[in-house]
Amino acid sequence: MGRGPYEKSGLLRDTSIPPHKTIKEEFSIPVYTEKQKDGKTVRDIIANDFTIDVELWYLPYGRKDDSGNAQKWFTTSKAMRIEEGGK
Amino acid sequence: MSINKKIFSLAMITLLFDSSLTLANENLPKDNGHAQELIGITEEKKAQTIAELAARYDSAPCMDCHMEVYDAWEKSLHARSIFGPDKVGRTAATLKTTIENGLKEWAFSGVKKPEDVGVKHLMICAKCHLPQLQEAEDSVAQEIVKNVYAFVDDPDNLEAKKALQSLNIGCMVCHNRNAIVHKWTDGTPQKDAVYGTKDDVHMDDKHPFLKQSKIMKESIQCGQCHGLGPNFELENPTQCATLYGSHLFAYIPEGGQATCQECHMEKSKLGHNIQSYRSPEMAKMALDVDVEAKAFQWRDVSTMTPAAQVTVALTNKAGHAIPDG
Ligand code: HEC
Ligand code: HEC
Ligand code: HEC
Ligand code: HEC
Ligand code: HEC
Repeated sequence: MGRGPYEKSGLLRDTSIPPHKTIKEEFSIPVYTEKQKDGKTVRDIIANDFTIDVELWYLPYGRKDDSGNAQKWFTTSKAMRIEEGGK
Repeated sequence: MSINKKIFSLAMITLLFDSSLTLANENLPKDNGHAQELIGITEEKKAQTIAELAARYDSAPCMDCHMEVYDAWEKSLHARSIFGPDKVGRTAATLKTTIENGLKEWAFSGVKKPEDVGVKHLMICAKCHLPQLQEAEDSVAQEIVKNVYAFVDDPDNLEAKKALQSLNIGCMVCHNRNAIVHKWTDGTPQKDAVYGTKDDVHMDDKHPFLKQSKIMKESIQCGQCHGLGPNFELENPTQCATLYGSHLFAYIPEGGQATCQECHMEKSKLGHNIQSYRSPEMAKMALDVDVEAKAFQWRDVSTMTPAAQVTVALTNKAGHAIPDG
């Protein structure tokens, strides 16, 4: 409930998860740092092996440090590898 | 002979009926525009104090024989419906905000100070948080407002907290007052009955009848308070819960079939401890999550982009959008 129930009416935007349906969220995670060298952009890979942690939180009042309300509903970790080589 | 007798007894019935109607009318407060509505709901006088209104809808007497149900209900938010979650009392706090930032600010509300708040002002919330407030005088609204301010200003004020929690969505709200939606079709709830899933006798002296409510197992029972959108029938429409709208217009069209009761009372095994995400049982039933991740080098002419792509698929298994609000 973003604003008080006494001043809300209608819906401006619906950010809830719709029922009986599957929705997909895409995340692109860059694994590099970037710097300028001789007028060119150079990218350095951070690690070839790394882990991606995915956590799904339900934050009914918008905050994580909100015990009794904030909930961690799901968590998983995936081991990732980007092959070395290929210039 | 027998025809005569019949006509005679019919006349008697009409007479009795008439006089009881007059009686009911005499009992009504003189001033007030709700008189018509009131006949439909109750023939009693309006409650003048919190204690009186609480006593009319007291769940304690049901405890003697329905211990388990009572214990479960007591843990639910329905048992503190103008107070809100235990300790925090967010609903009470929001009632104060409604008066301070809403009613007092609005040019045409008739409220300049908390002492001006009457039943009709609180009904913009009580429509769902305490529908029986309709059967109370403004003195009860005033007492509620005093206790709301007392609690919000001092959360250790146990007396205020107790007074606010004594008013709630108790047994007789669901099993009597709100057990019939279509009153032209099915009549108004009978004071001496509890409404359940069948017609029978009931062991309780004060409510010797068990009556069938046609909606007890239907989503509309819960939908009465769980909101469709703006509450247009109010002079100043509010909007709080809209979840019944989502159930009707999103879940059902997508092929959903379960009722509120099936998920929240049966599958959850929580019975009358009707809960949402705050209980692990419900949280577990909420979503299916599927995660896929790939890592790769993306080459754009001479620029290399090491990256990972994560796709999270979320399937909402509830009977409505998550969250409500
Ligand atoms: C003296 C004991 C007693 C008291 C007090 C009592 N009940 Fe009951 N109630 C029963 C019994 C016994 C049954 C089971 C009747 C049956 O299933 O045929 C029952 C059944 C019910 C049902 C079942 C409906 C169904 O669909 O099967 C409801 C609802 C109910 N009571 C509500 C209440 C409420 C609300 C109160 C308080 C106002 C209350 N009862 C007080 C003994 C009591
Ligand atoms: C259409 C019925 C309806 C109206 C009108 C309504 N509410 Fe609600 N409200 C609900 C329901 C049902 C819930 C609980 C469901 C939920 O959390 O989705 C709720 C939840 C809340 C909560 C959150 C409680 C928590 O869990 O922390 C607050 C606060 C609240 N209401 C305050 C108000 C105030 C103040 C008003 C009047 C300005 C109001 N409501 C009007 C039905 C309503
Ligand atoms: C929020 C609405 C609501 C409230 C409050 C409520 N009930 Fe119920 N009750 C229901 C519904 C709905 C059912 C039917 C569930 C089903 O069978 O699908 C039910 C079923 C029952 C039954 C029969 C089935 C069973 O679980 O034993 C009894 C007895 C009962 N209620 C008693 C009570 C008592 C006593 C209270 C107060 C302590 C109470 N109810 C409060 C909605 C409510
Ligand atoms: C008389 C109105 C009313 C009826 C009928 C009613 N509810 Fe509620 N319900 C409320 C209100 C008001 C709240 C929120 C109380 C608060 O926290 O301020 C609530 C809270 C809830 C919650 C907890 C929401 C949360 O945020 O944790 C659930 C779940 C719920 N109701 C489900 C149901 C189901 C299922 C039914 C039908 C069996 C039902 N309700 C019938 C008014 C009602
Ligand atoms: C298919 C099962 C299912 C049905 C049907 C269902 N619910 Fe729920 N409901 C859930 C689950 C699971 C949650 C827990 C997720 C959550 O709290 O968001 C939930 C959460 C809720 C909440 C809290 C929403 C929030 O803001 O997080 C309320 C209030 C509620 N339900 C009321 C109802 C009412 C009223 C109905 C009927 C109109 C209903 N539910 C129908 C499964 C169901």
